Amino acid sequence: MEIKAHTVSAGKAEGEAVVYNGPFSFMGDLDPNTGKVPAPRHELEGQSLVNKVFVFTTGKGSSGGDSIAWMAKQKGNVPSAIICMESEPVLSGAVIATEIPAVDYPEKNVLKLIKTGDYIKVDATRGVIEVVGK
Amino acid sequence: MLLTDEEKKMRAGEYGPGMQRAISLLITLGDSFNAERLVPISYGHISYDFCPEDFWNLMTEEVPPTPHRVTTHPSYQPQLWKEWGLPLADQWIDEHERKLTAFRQLGWLRTETCAEYLIGIMPRKGDIVSMGGSCMQVANNSLFGARVDRMGILVSMAAAVCGRTPLMGLLLPENRYAIHMVELDDLDVTDWTLSDFHCLGYCIGDTIPGFKPVAVHGLPHNLPFDFARALVISMPTSGAVTLAHLVGTTPEAATVEEALGNKKPKHVIRIGKREMIQAWERLNVWDNDIVEHVAFGCPHATIDEIARIAALLDGKTIKTSLLIGASAPVKTLAGQQGYVDSIENAGGHIIPVCPSISNPFTRRDIAGEKQAKSAATNSARGAHYLATVSGIKVFFGTEEACVNAAITGRWKGETLRWK
Repeated sequence: MEIKAHTVSAGKAEGEAVVYNGPFSFMGDLDPNTGKVPAPRHELEGQSLVNKVFVFTTGKGSSGGDSIAWMAKQKGNVPSAIICMESEPVLSGAVIATEIPAVDYPEKNVLKLIKTGDYIKVDATRGVIEVVGK
Repeated sequence: MLLTDEEKKMRAGEYGPGMQRAISLLITLGDSFNAERLVPISYGHISYDFCPEDFWNLMTEEVPPTPHRVTTHPSYQPQLWKEWGLPLADQWIDEHERKLTAFRQLGWLRTETCAEYLIGIMPRKGDIVSMGGSCMQVANNSLFGARVDRMGILVSMAAAVCGRTPLMGLLLPENRYAIHMVELDDLDVTDWTLSDFHCLGYCIGDTIPGFKPVAVHGLPHNLPFDFARALVISMPTSGAVTLAHLVGTTPEAATVEEALGNKKPKHVIRIGKREMIQAWERLNVWDNDIVEHVAFGCPHATIDEIARIAALLDGKTIKTSLLIGASAPVKTLAGQQGYVDSIENAGGHIIPVCPSISNPFTRRDIAGEKQAKSAATNSARGAHYLATVSGIKVFFGTEEACVNAAITGRWKGETLRWK
């Protein structure tokens, strides 16, 4: 199944999906030293995002998010690609500056269509999400 | 995107590789939001200590002193951390000094605060400013009517280098009207403290979907500045709100109609006692009552806030470490008033650091084995980042409860005021 989307940050990547029906910030929701979600009481607490295709609603939180993304990227502790419903400038700046392929405005509701564990290919340059395996 | 001849030269590398990288980042970001062009900024605000050094070096390579003004966020103080005996302070000194030297060479202003409006540097209504620091963005947008879009620390570096920012988002007047409306449901704010407004802002940020402007209706008009500020700056902690119109208080919201641009809101969100209790409880992440650190000044404290804390601390001795984040000029004023003596004699510190994200007492990578494992704060933003960035237990409550915790080393569980 292919889903069209809008390019935020060009590039191609693939991986297992982690789906979260909520907003995300690199600052506070990702430990750059482990690539895991540290937030207390967060639904994804302890979940690793490393090399995952991370699917969520939108960005949030501190503008330091892009710095954390940069540090995490240097250590290889970032998602391989990002799919969100609607990006916002901090998240977009983070993925553009750190060259993480990312798309938003998917034509279908990926939060429902994609399940955690699905294998996903993202061609962010062309704006295409491919759900490979269920 | 339409570029001027000058911008084309910047992109072609005629002004060196730093400028070329910086403008390329702005163009790619602007393109992704369909920005038609870049626009000059009145001034820029960056954070040299929060900016990773390799990124800083890429952006500033061969960049000459800029003709436009650039200010900076709270800095690290590793020399002071060393004097305080924090074991890992040494590791931070060299990078901080290198970046500070580079910062000065660019001719930028060492303001070192997240509240520059408190030291007389503030935009006028309509001024375009590029800023790192979501609390700066929302405060300047909302309280002064500046045109500030949401942007990250890295992008704000690029904008500061180029003196430009993409014409997008909240820079466009049509995007500044509130999409969401918050109605206060049976909340009487008459005797609210600063912490209550922090909590309300955190609750709103958590409830509002996305990053579009919000109007808050039902508050007293001409809300005191410190309360209005606490309310708006807490929103982009739990969410991404970057412009909040407080009807009857902020400059683009004399009326509900003005705030909404005469349209109907997409969502109307009611916040009442139940939502406030949930937010207050969510901000409290602790299992026993031992308090090891107390943090104030997120965002950087006003002179009134310092005066109140100083009065509570006057003549007392504290058991915990205590840090108040405040800019150097505000600290000077506090010193003239005798507040600094009250705070320091009790055992507290007042310095221009960020007491939340880079609090030296709570960060394991600064304090090492001396890391405080729990902290009390009056700021929702502070509570959020102490818990998530430092990974410690957090008590959120009033100034009075926090000072009491500093003196006793224990948290006295407060009865929630909305019960």
